Amino acid sequence: MSRAGSLRGYILIRIALMVPMVWVLLTVVFLMMRVAPGDPISATLGGKLSPADLDERREALGFDRSLFVQYLEYLWDAVRFQFGTTITDGQTIGSILVENGGATLTLTVAALVFALVVGLPLGLIAGRYRETLPDAAIRIFAILGYAAPPFFIGLLAQLLFAKNLDWLPASKMASPIVQAQAETYTHILIIDLAIDGNWDGVWDVVKHLILPAVTLGLLVMGVFIRLVRVNVGQALGGDYVEAARARGVPERRVVSRHAFRNALVPVVTVMGLQVALLLGGAVLTEQTFSWPGLGTRLLQYLNSRDYIGVQGLITVFALVVVVISLLIDIINALIDPRVRY
Amino acid sequence: MRAHRMAVLGCTALLAVAACGGSDDDGGGGENAPSGGGGNADTYVLGTTDKVVALDPVGAYDLASQQLIGNIYQNLLSVPAGGNTPEPDAAESCDWSDDKTYVCKLKPDLKFSSGDPLTAEDVKFSLERMLKIADPTGPYTLLGSLDSVEATDPQTVTMKLKKVDATWPFILTHNVAAIVPDEIYSDSEKQPDDKIVGSGPYKLDKYTPNQQAVFSANPEYNGPNKPQTPKVLVQYFEQASALKLAIEQGDVDVAYRSLSPTDIEALRNSNAGVKVVDGEGTEIRYAVFNVKKKPVDNVAVRQAIAQIVDRQAIVDSIYKGTATPLYSTVPSAFPGAKESFKDKYGDPDPAKAKQLLDDAGVQTPVELDAWYTPTHYGPVEVDLWNELKRQLEGSGLFKINLDSTEWDQYKEEAFDKGTYYFYGLGWFPDFPDADNYLTPFMRDGGFFVNGYSNEEVNKALDAELASQDSGEREEQFGIVQDIQAEDVPVLPLWEGKQVAAVREGVEGVEKTFDPAFQFRFWLVTKKES
Amino acid sequence: MTATTSVTGTPDKAPEAGPPKRRGGLLSRITAPYRQSHGIQRFMLVSGTAISLAMILMAIFAPLLAPYGFDTYQDADGRFPTQGEPSDRNPWGTTVQGFDVMSRAIFGARTAVEVVLLAVAFSLMIGVPLGLISGYIGGWLDRVLVLIMDALFAFPYLLLAIVAAFLLSNTIDSGIVVTAIAITVVYVPQYFRVVRASTLSAREATYIEAARAIGAKPRTVIARYLFPNVIQSVPVIATLNAADAILTLAGLGFLGLGIQPSEAAEWGYDLQRAIADAGAGIWWTALFPGLGIVLAVTGLTLVGEGLNDVLNPTLRRRRVDRPVVQSRRAVGSSAVGPASAPEVEEDAGQ
Repeated sequence: MSRAGSLRGYILIRIALMVPMVWVLLTVVFLMMRVAPGDPISATLGGKLSPADLDERREALGFDRSLFVQYLEYLWDAVRFQFGTTITDGQTIGSILVENGGATLTLTVAALVFALVVGLPLGLIAGRYRETLPDAAIRIFAILGYAAPPFFIGLLAQLLFAKNLDWLPASKMASPIVQAQAETYTHILIIDLAIDGNWDGVWDVVKHLILPAVTLGLLVMGVFIRLVRVNVGQALGGDYVEAARARGVPERRVVSRHAFRNALVPVVTVMGLQVALLLGGAVLTEQTFSWPGLGTRLLQYLNSRDYIGVQGLITVFALVVVVISLLIDIINALIDPRVRY
Repeated sequence: MRAHRMAVLGCTALLAVAACGGSDDDGGGGENAPSGGGGNADTYVLGTTDKVVALDPVGAYDLASQQLIGNIYQNLLSVPAGGNTPEPDAAESCDWSDDKTYVCKLKPDLKFSSGDPLTAEDVKFSLERMLKIADPTGPYTLLGSLDSVEATDPQTVTMKLKKVDATWPFILTHNVAAIVPDEIYSDSEKQPDDKIVGSGPYKLDKYTPNQQAVFSANPEYNGPNKPQTPKVLVQYFEQASALKLAIEQGDVDVAYRSLSPTDIEALRNSNAGVKVVDGEGTEIRYAVFNVKKKPVDNVAVRQAIAQIVDRQAIVDSIYKGTATPLYSTVPSAFPGAKESFKDKYGDPDPAKAKQLLDDAGVQTPVELDAWYTPTHYGPVEVDLWNELKRQLEGSGLFKINLDSTEWDQYKEEAFDKGTYYFYGLGWFPDFPDADNYLTPFMRDGGFFVNGYSNEEVNKALDAELASQDSGEREEQFGIVQDIQAEDVPVLPLWEGKQVAAVREGVEGVEKTFDPAFQFRFWLVTKKES
Repeated sequence: MTATTSVTGTPDKAPEAGPPKRRGGLLSRITAPYRQSHGIQRFMLVSGTAISLAMILMAIFAPLLAPYGFDTYQDADGRFPTQGEPSDRNPWGTTVQGFDVMSRAIFGARTAVEVVLLAVAFSLMIGVPLGLISGYIGGWLDRVLVLIMDALFAFPYLLLAIVAAFLLSNTIDSGIVVTAIAITVVYVPQYFRVVRASTLSAREATYIEAARAIGAKPRTVIARYLFPNVIQSVPVIATLNAADAILTLAGLGFLGLGIQPSEAAEWGYDLQRAIADAGAGIWWTALFPGLGIVLAVTGLTLVGEGLNDVLNPTLRRRRVDRPVVQSRRAVGSSAVGPASAPEVEEDAGQ
């Protein structure tokens, strides 16, 4: 692999590599769901109907055709972006994405923003004052943010802020009235409310967003803290910083102009890696806060053994991660000329 | 240091937001637009954790969908609030013209919310399409007795049955017989959720699946159940704990299904402006014996278990007042229900149980494998079976090996393979008739294929199905229940009450708690706050 | 997953390593990081080790430490109350099922340790050899494996674990084994990548060429020369993965997948049952399992990060006499490099 390649070549090769990976993912998902025990009919009606009745309904859904046939059909549908219709509530995966994707997007973006807003400055402080008490305290804080699972933090947050102090709502994305009144344009509730000029509604959603976003954000905040700390520390030991200091540049300027700026570069890369973590954490956070996102749907379909729902959503999650890591790699390649094929 | 300042600013901003939230959010959401009417709000919010499967009756065989469908559509007959027998609803009158033909005359001037008139053609269309589409998740099997349906004139529906079936009027009250407009609905496909049209008291304005359903009073409705509140919002929650917090904070006005017994108890005792209302329910829990497998193939073993089980203790310690002991698989609210198990066994008595086993020559302690499923019926199921185990082992007569499997494997082992011989199940009715609690369990192995079959039981069931005299039917039900207590192929444990938590000022919820298991939106009002 | 991804940098860059060291016995190698670290670093390493050891001891001696068994609901005086407050009889209260909270918390540690040990063992047994072979032999085997591992790696880890647990829960009886396998599925790609990267960089070293020159078979080369070298990066990853594994286990337990309460005590499951309690003001059923998770993960992460700082520094102070300005800084502080711009200035672990 030559090091001095073209940017375009790099991008093309990366996209080409994506195809087999996506295919492997799809196959893995398909196998997982077909091998799984149970089916949606038995899950919902198993306690009411006789086995004969159940069999009849299962046949009607085509569950007993050969596995290979079902696999080919699945691949063919996937290529056309048709991921099917769920059995237990008759929604198409596409419509689920549209209805619930906005909520997950809002949550993850807000969590990311929180993690950056809190994590970057803290990382800077930790890097600047390495090996001292503030550094240790910040590192421990970062570790704690990761160590406490979202459902534990979420539970405590709900108890404290919602139940005891009554400052913030404990669950859902908006009050019932606000949601009933909202017109849909982009299917992202907060944006739709803004388009309408319904600022009370926007404020309502923000209030609902705070606890879940912080809960989820704490998870990735630690990564940013660690990263910035390390890079700031590194940069502060570098030659040009030494030179600046020798020239008499005040320490403050050294830190903020040289060290911090450099530290930001890999943050973009790392953000891409965090998408997978965020999505996993989002599932738990959404469940805790009754947040109407894709994670909640996924759990719902898992519980009702609706394999089309599970399959469709997991495929979507995996594809999202793949696409985002591709984008990150491209951005990386743009920034850093050393990364090429 | 700039970073320092940034951090401080950031944290302050967050705190400021949280603090601002405090001042705005007093008493929670559910603000109402000023209403004209005398003191009652024009909207109330119902919160629930149930999951809706479909809003077209063709695809809906679950409780959550039924709750909505019962308010959107009309049926020929319905069970009125507080009652337990079908009364005419869309129909003016219904009767048997011969023992297999049922004729209904429709009320005049009925309309759907779209303005289309409701005629006998719509009724015929609805029933036929239910059988034609035969949606795998739908209730079409309930129409098994129907042979043909004709609209003999625009106001008259004639239904011919394949066999004598006294439960038919009850079946007509179920959403399997909900009336849909033939002008709008297709006869081969399920209607999409956002194009739902019915003739019931409420119409569906907006539906976001698994999140919210918005209803308003149907201006074309022409029936006895006039809505008392113009708008109803249904909010769907994932977790019972979130629902509980929501009712405490006033985000919802009614919380119905499914709060845990712990939550209910806490709400009963709290002063957060919430009260708990309950009424008769129809959901039951019972245990099944596979009477062909050792050691429960010996009736003495089953009877001994029935003699020991302390239902009151179970209900008190685990369900905290949300359930009552059940002494027959037919819940007490139904005409014909008989507490046969209580009659036969009286109070829990391990000594009598020992006597039973000794008389039958059974060695004690008897070792049994017991099974339950941990999530399908809710997280409290494990507590129920642990308690049963304790009670049975506490008598010194049994040794219980308790295990659990998830629902898919569970039902396969239990029904298909017959591996389990002592396991737990739950049931909620299709329609409010005692037959629906006897035939599925007692006739020729029941739907769970437990190997029990009794000629006398079958005869009695045939008799009650063939009779239209309620007195006679009750007598036959009694016979079956007595045999049930004698042979113990199933062991009834408890019947659940219908429970809801409501905010102060909300009235009418307890009126809808009856054997029909239908939450009637039109009965509920809320005081203007 | 975050902890481990940033530890090693890109898959293609591994910590530099020379030929396997032979000096010092096993004990001196284990205590080396503790001796070599200073100040705050040492504090973190030591406290992390202390917490982790405490957890492990708690797990081993659970039957002795806990007042009752994890599914005991009564003692000589009769049944425990359900949701009882902390009392003399039940120091940390009882759960909604009438179990003793303290016992379940302590036995929860045992479950966590059991599952994690199993999972790490499985992952190592599968991931390390695969990585070695794939890295050394290369070719189409390598490409296929990399493809599969990358695909698995791309999955949000919790989802993968959920699906794996869900699939296995009906085929394998023991919830502990099921959960361990589910976690293994998630972490094998990690070990694979790291070991493969290590192998890739190590196999070009001179001593490997020399070994091949004298006719050593690939199996010998891998087992005797590559393996000890490559294995250096593993302890850090294993520790951080163990921390992750506890979180995954708790997540699965919270969602109700895996371990049933009659089988073992599990913190995540107890937390889920405690949610309803918390709303009623019953705090003891949630606090202790939650703390258990937090402490266990924190302890392990501290150890992992501390080890990483010491063993795999990618930044070392250059040993040049510095102006006074720098003398306060500890010598030998180190850092973890980011994905794209590592600056390896000195060899690791000398």
